[in-house]
Amino acid sequence: MSVLTRKLWRTIRNTKGQFLAVVAVVMVGICVYISMSTAYYNMSRSQELFYEETNFADYYFHVIRAPLQIIRQIEAIPGVSKVTGRIQKDVPVLKDDQQRATARLISYPLPMENEVNRLYLLSGRLFEKYPQSGGVEILTDPQYAKANGLSFNSIVNIVAEGKQVPLTVVGAATSPEFVIAMKDAATLLPDPKTFGIIMLPQNQAEQILNFSGQINQVVVSLAPGADEKRIAEQIKNILEPYGNLGSYPRKDQLSHNVLQSEINNLRTLSRFMPAIFLGVAAAIQFVMLGRMVKAQRVEIGVMKALGYDSRQLMLHYTGYSLSVAFLGALLGTLTGISLASVLSQTYTIYFNLPETIGGINSKAILYGFMISMAVSLIAGLTASRGVVAINPAESMRPEPPRGTGKIIIERWTWLWRRLDATWKMSLRSVCRKWGRFAVTLMGVIFAVGLLVLSIFSNDSVNFMINQHFYKEQHYDFLVRFGTPVKEYELLNLARLDGVIRTEPLFDIPVKLHFNGRSEDDVLQGLPSELTLKELTGENGKPLYLPEEGILISQRTASKLGARVGDAVEVETLLGLGPSRYADVKITGINSQLVGSGSYIALAQANRILQESRLVSGAMLKVEPGKTGLLEEELNNMTNVSAISSPRKELDNLNQNLDSMLYTITIMIIFAALLGFAIVYNSSVISFAERKRELASLRVLGFTNGEVSGLLLKEILLQSLLGVALGLPFGRFMTEWYVRAVSTDLFTMPMVFSFQTYLISALGGIAFILAGHLMVVKGVKKLDLVDVLKNRD
Amino acid sequence: MAKKVLMKLNQVTRNYVMGEVTVQALRETSLFIYEGELLVILGPSGSGKSTLLNIIGGMDLPSSGLLCFGEEDLSRAGDSKLTQFRRCELGFVFQHYNLIPDLTARENVELAADLVDKPLPTEEVLTEVGLETRMDHFPSQLSGGEQQRVAIARAAVKSPRLLLCDEPTGALDYQTGKLILSLLAKINRERNSTVVIVTHNTPISAMGHRVVRMSSGNIVEITENQSPVSPERIEW
Ligand SMILES: Nc1ncnc2c1ncn2[C@@H]1O[C@H](COP(=O)(O)OP(=O)(O)OP(=O)(O)O)[C@@H](O)[C@H]1O
Ligand SMILES: [Mg+2]
Repeated sequence: MSVLTRKLWRTIRNTKGQFLAVVAVVMVGICVYISMSTAYYNMSRSQELFYEETNFADYYFHVIRAPLQIIRQIEAIPGVSKVTGRIQKDVPVLKDDQQRATARLISYPLPMENEVNRLYLLSGRLFEKYPQSGGVEILTDPQYAKANGLSFNSIVNIVAEGKQVPLTVVGAATSPEFVIAMKDAATLLPDPKTFGIIMLPQNQAEQILNFSGQINQVVVSLAPGADEKRIAEQIKNILEPYGNLGSYPRKDQLSHNVLQSEINNLRTLSRFMPAIFLGVAAAIQFVMLGRMVKAQRVEIGVMKALGYDSRQLMLHYTGYSLSVAFLGALLGTLTGISLASVLSQTYTIYFNLPETIGGINSKAILYGFMISMAVSLIAGLTASRGVVAINPAESMRPEPPRGTGKIIIERWTWLWRRLDATWKMSLRSVCRKWGRFAVTLMGVIFAVGLLVLSIFSNDSVNFMINQHFYKEQHYDFLVRFGTPVKEYELLNLARLDGVIRTEPLFDIPVKLHFNGRSEDDVLQGLPSELTLKELTGENGKPLYLPEEGILISQRTASKLGARVGDAVEVETLLGLGPSRYADVKITGINSQLVGSGSYIALAQANRILQESRLVSGAMLKVEPGKTGLLEEELNNMTNVSAISSPRKELDNLNQNLDSMLYTITIMIIFAALLGFAIVYNSSVISFAERKRELASLRVLGFTNGEVSGLLLKEILLQSLLGVALGLPFGRFMTEWYVRAVSTDLFTMPMVFSFQTYLISALGGIAFILAGHLMVVKGVKKLDLVDVLKNRD
Repeated sequence: MAKKVLMKLNQVTRNYVMGEVTVQALRETSLFIYEGELLVILGPSGSGKSTLLNIIGGMDLPSSGLLCFGEEDLSRAGDSKLTQFRRCELGFVFQHYNLIPDLTARENVELAADLVDKPLPTEEVLTEVGLETRMDHFPSQLSGGEQQRVAIARAAVKSPRLLLCDEPTGALDYQTGKLILSLLAKINRERNSTVVIVTHNTPISAMGHRVVRMSSGNIVEITENQSPVSPERIEW
């Protein structure tokens, strides 16, 4: 071991507190990088593989009813590589426990090879076209099977075409369309107890749903490089006669959208979190080494006089930061690998991605090491470049004087005069070392900002829950009918025991046209005397249903480029009767947070459909304590196809918030660690630099408390500003982050509670004090005689 | 003349234990320090002068023996009692000044003045040491002699009963050194502070009322000086 290496080793040992603090910051950076990018890589790779293996559709088209042969015609369009026709329908499930669930029946042509959106069998076996038993064989999604206790040969009873039909479960399967099985965008999370996917052979679906030789959905995969928009137009033209109910590209497909946004989220986090941590670590190292070179001026001079050259000495100091980087990367890799497996496990619970790519991503590890070493190398070399300027002869002489100019505050003589000498000392020392001050400030700003960002998601989700479940919905049940009924039939519901109030609704799938653009949407007709639901406009203001006019969903409005006052053309796609057209003026923008939809007065909806008093569902307000019995009665009503209960949705949601809290906790720990490390390091450095000064104060008769107070004053001067700036910065960072991970369907409301700021600020102050307390121990141990003996 | 004892050291020792070896920096040492006297502690390098001074100044504790300031036993005092002692009764001047670089001359003195109830006026003390025109300069803008004068002003502003100086002229040239010593003598004379000066420079001992000679941790001789010489007339 060369002498320089031994010196390096000793330096590390003497500064082990600081060394470990920076190592911890690097470790977190690399840990986040490895775990997030491994998860990102695994997720996107398995998504890709899975989509490829099952031939995930590029475009979806829904029609009312079309002959199966139509797919040949579509397949003939140049650029279309494969078309599959199938039947998809949501039907009620009669469960043994009298609860109601909805099943999405999807038919599959057999044999399945080459078709679009193929199944991927997870357990059991594939259904047969004509099983020997004579029944109907089905597969379900694994979550539904698990939540409802289904296994091989279990029977699922559905209601189709007014009849109860028993189906035999032969296994579980998934497909790229329901990697996450959610009913619609209005659901915040999958609820496998009440919604599931049922897959069955085409011939059986035709029979059960009375669709002989017909289909209602066309899924298309396109050749690479095909002009998606043009082909979609052509296909829509072909399907026009069969009741075009809507079409959308893959990116608007719900499951894909959710998965993709999670993957994007991982990618964003895997880049920006490590950047913060490694950046701060680099800044700390820069300051530490810069200070070390300064403190060791004489030694450097002596070594140069002995014949060491600047390059060797710079490498010696850079060796310190490289050791930090190496140890940090090593520990970060180890923790990152375990965190990656925790992450993967969490994801496999939420997403059905059978082609899960597990294991260690050696590329991420390699990059992790490279990035952290490179960052430290740069920090080390820049910080130690001061070595070059040290001249052996001059280094033995006392250091050139420090700045003697006036600091800004001294201009306010009135204030300055009133400060006691210790304040003057603190203020001058903070102001004169503004480079270090800036680094501490920046570190604290980032740490507090990260705290805001972490705690924010709690605010956001709380706000969403509050808005969605308490403010916008006042009903206990929302009932949907299999086929629309006359409004007076709701009396049957109103008569049920416990029902306080019923209000009708009418869901109409529509296509809205404006300025040559078209968008699919669901128009909900609501009564003008609406009390069980509240509509929210921009900025959270309440929105009122107009007699004439449409409250358009924000998403549709922005896609169409339409604004309040514009008239959009409504094309109804109800599936019964012909499509109707009407021009309706936009009177408001509906900005509800969960799901989206457009609203219209029930009467106007009927006028457009040229019907009268038709409704498709109802909201019920029920006496407290009677919900259970009432739900059973509702479950027994045959025309009821779906019952949703906000309370149950909320329960389901609350059960799933644990993982969010877990993530928030980890983020908070990381942020606090970052803040602690930077405050601790800058305190240690300023303590080391000023030992002599502090010892003189002790000799003058200052108490330990007074000297520690002086240091505290300085650290507070730097960090409180950091806390103050960190709060708005956190908000800014959060806005940026939310924008980066938002998709068309999901965005987090930008809500910050006072508590978030308060907790972040207190958290900031807590890690500042923790960092400071570690240094106070040094004040107590200060050996006056020793420190003051020599001139350093 | 009945002299009042300010400080009493009885059989004081100080050992430094370094692994196997124990260095006896101070062997059983007894000494009275009288109020108002100017005491010079003389001895070669390594003889234990600084060790003794540090113990007198409450910066270090004896390994054994008794140390009393007035009636107060300091030999087993805790940190806060020693701090209180330094704060109220003591001024300290070092060879290497030890000023606070971030404070001006005036502010360095104020720093000490703020610690006691009735300090002398800062500007008066600085004028007394001849720095009336340099009060707003930082230590780095002052020469060594000027810095040492600030240090003396900082020690004197509390009008301490005991002023301890460890090699106050050690880093200074002949002329400046004399100036510093005159200041110390003046403070002793006019303010009636007890002044203890540590030096290895024999001629300086001529200015002391009493001279304590040390050698390898022992006090070997205490001489009373009937006619102290003013520092201006000392040659070395
Ligand atoms: N912290 C310490 N650890 C070990 N030994 C020490 C320590 N401080 C002083 N000594 C030893 O104690 C003895 C007396 O030291 P002291 O500093 O009192 O000498 P001095 O008379 O002031 O010398 P100088 O004139 O060189 O300042 C010396 O031998 C020294 O080596
Ligand atoms: Mg000495």
